[in-house]
Amino acid sequence: MNLQSVIDDVRRGMIPAKIYSDPEIFALERRRVFGHAWLFMAHESEIRDPGDYVVRRIVDDSFIVCRDETGEVRVLFNMCLHRGMQVCRSEIGNTSHFRCPYHAWTYKNTGDLVGVPFHQDAYGGDDGLEREGVGLLPAPRVATYAGLIFASLDADAPDLVDYLGDFRFYLDFYLQQSQGGPEFRGPQRFRIKANWKIGAENFAGDSYHTPHTHASIVDIDLFSAPKAGKRKEGALFFAGAGGGTTYKLPAKDFRENLLHIGYPDEMIDRMESTWSPGHRAMIGEAGFMPSAATALPNLSFVHNWPIVNREGLVVPFVSVRLWQPVSATETEVLSWFVVDREAPEWYKAASYKAYIMCFGTSGMFEQDDVENWTSITAVSKGLMADRLNLHSRMGLRRDGTTVSDPLDWPAPGRAYKGFGEYNQRDLLALWCDLMSTSDGEPTRSSMLD
Amino acid sequence: MPTQLSPEGREPLSSSCERYGRVVDFLYREAELLDDRRHRDWLALLTEDVTYRAPVRITTAHSLADSTLADMGHFDEDGYSLTKRVERLETEHAWAEDPPSRTRRFVTNIRCWEGDSSGEVLVRCNLLVFRSRGDVQPSDLLSAQRTDLLRDEGEGLRLARREILLDESVLRTQNLAVFL
Repeated sequence: MNLQSVIDDVRRGMIPAKIYSDPEIFALERRRVFGHAWLFMAHESEIRDPGDYVVRRIVDDSFIVCRDETGEVRVLFNMCLHRGMQVCRSEIGNTSHFRCPYHAWTYKNTGDLVGVPFHQDAYGGDDGLEREGVGLLPAPRVATYAGLIFASLDADAPDLVDYLGDFRFYLDFYLQQSQGGPEFRGPQRFRIKANWKIGAENFAGDSYHTPHTHASIVDIDLFSAPKAGKRKEGALFFAGAGGGTTYKLPAKDFRENLLHIGYPDEMIDRMESTWSPGHRAMIGEAGFMPSAATALPNLSFVHNWPIVNREGLVVPFVSVRLWQPVSATETEVLSWFVVDREAPEWYKAASYKAYIMCFGTSGMFEQDDVENWTSITAVSKGLMADRLNLHSRMGLRRDGTTVSDPLDWPAPGRAYKGFGEYNQRDLLALWCDLMSTSDGEPTRSSMLD
Repeated sequence: MPTQLSPEGREPLSSSCERYGRVVDFLYREAELLDDRRHRDWLALLTEDVTYRAPVRITTAHSLADSTLADMGHFDEDGYSLTKRVERLETEHAWAEDPPSRTRRFVTNIRCWEGDSSGEVLVRCNLLVFRSRGDVQPSDLLSAQRTDLLRDEGEGLRLARREILLDESVLRTQNLAVFL
């Protein structure tokens, strides 16, 4: 495979179909994308109390994400230093220690090795195996933003704030509806026979698929906004590590637009005091409401406002999702329902209902998305697909000029109005940057050398 | 969240009694309607106040007692949302089921207990759904325990509550566009 020619084509918006199934590409992604990028592991609300943990993966690596007894968040490689057994085999819980089932080496939830059976008899005590300063391998880098816990396997990765850049503005939109921040529920987990990039690209900017893929949602009056005439009035923004889509709302007023999509006044009061002038201008005077978005490489968001009962009540929901690669052709989807912690109970219940109907394992939007993505992945494996560059140049003329001018955008990043694949190209350009890095052999070390 | 349906402390019904037979008839009839994709007829088997839940299953240490998430389901439905799901399948744009899955539901290990009132019966059964899509895609199996509250409001048994305890923590089917 000539990687450079693949990257060159991706950069001009002509995408070799095989990037959605080729094992060689995936082997490179595993090291160059997932070995370097900042990756979402869990939200702080999932491990609120000391001892709380969840187990999450970065491709093939299992990590314990926990809050230790001092309240510090840890991301620990779930592999015993002795024979390599996974020291934690449940996916969620609360514990002060992890004991390996094989030989009972025991680690505190700080990662520190505190128990080695027959330490004196078997190892000659500290002369053979010194426990001080030894523990489960931590992820090389760990940092949080807006309660999102990220890890990077690259010790030299840029700081998280620099990696995310101005995309933080949009993270604040989804996650900081009050000073209290959100609570994450779930995740629902399911495996789909689709390449991980397809969902990431779709959420980053594909407002063009909504009117047709999700026509059934309009047919049944669950959510009227996906109609093509409305969707093409939306803006597509990109800033820092990611981008997303918006809907254009009728008013030029912050409160009126949030009321329109079902937020109650008391929540809007908190948004007004928590968000920045940029948020208020984007939603208010400009009238754009963020919907789906993706941050490089595989963390996505969605915000929609369906009708949740027979009385016609419109209520919004936010979902955060991770496209966790299993192989070139399979992805584990982790899908969380996210709601502001200070929201009234009736709102939390109605918003949860909105989420369940629309996204996740049984979601009526998500079902049809996945049908597309599995089909693309399956048919991209063949010899004919090897010959095909998929067209991802919407919004660009042949001479490179854009079909519409950039919007006067009151928020960070750039934005275009209408349909276009600006965001998918920008996201894949970041993917190209990572895929172009060199990847030497990792240095092996044992905590115990 | 509603309290869990539990047979604990209830009087079991013998498999030789007439009411047990009516429950079996109901469950087999329901499975047939769903396999045949007669979703409207299936909706008619639900009470007005039906609730239909499938909590997310998780892998936890030691015990299965707390192996579901209390506040997150795969389904958490009422009559409105179940009707919307059926309406959607009836449109020409429900791509997830176009072409439709071929499903076969196997309903076994049926046990019954007295409900809270004379018209009610609590039912627990095992469910295995075989799902085949397209031509050569690997087929899916969904295994679950169902706990149902069936109620006779004068027109035969109707489903008033269903709790579906799936046996996978990570679903291997690409969506739940099928009813369980």
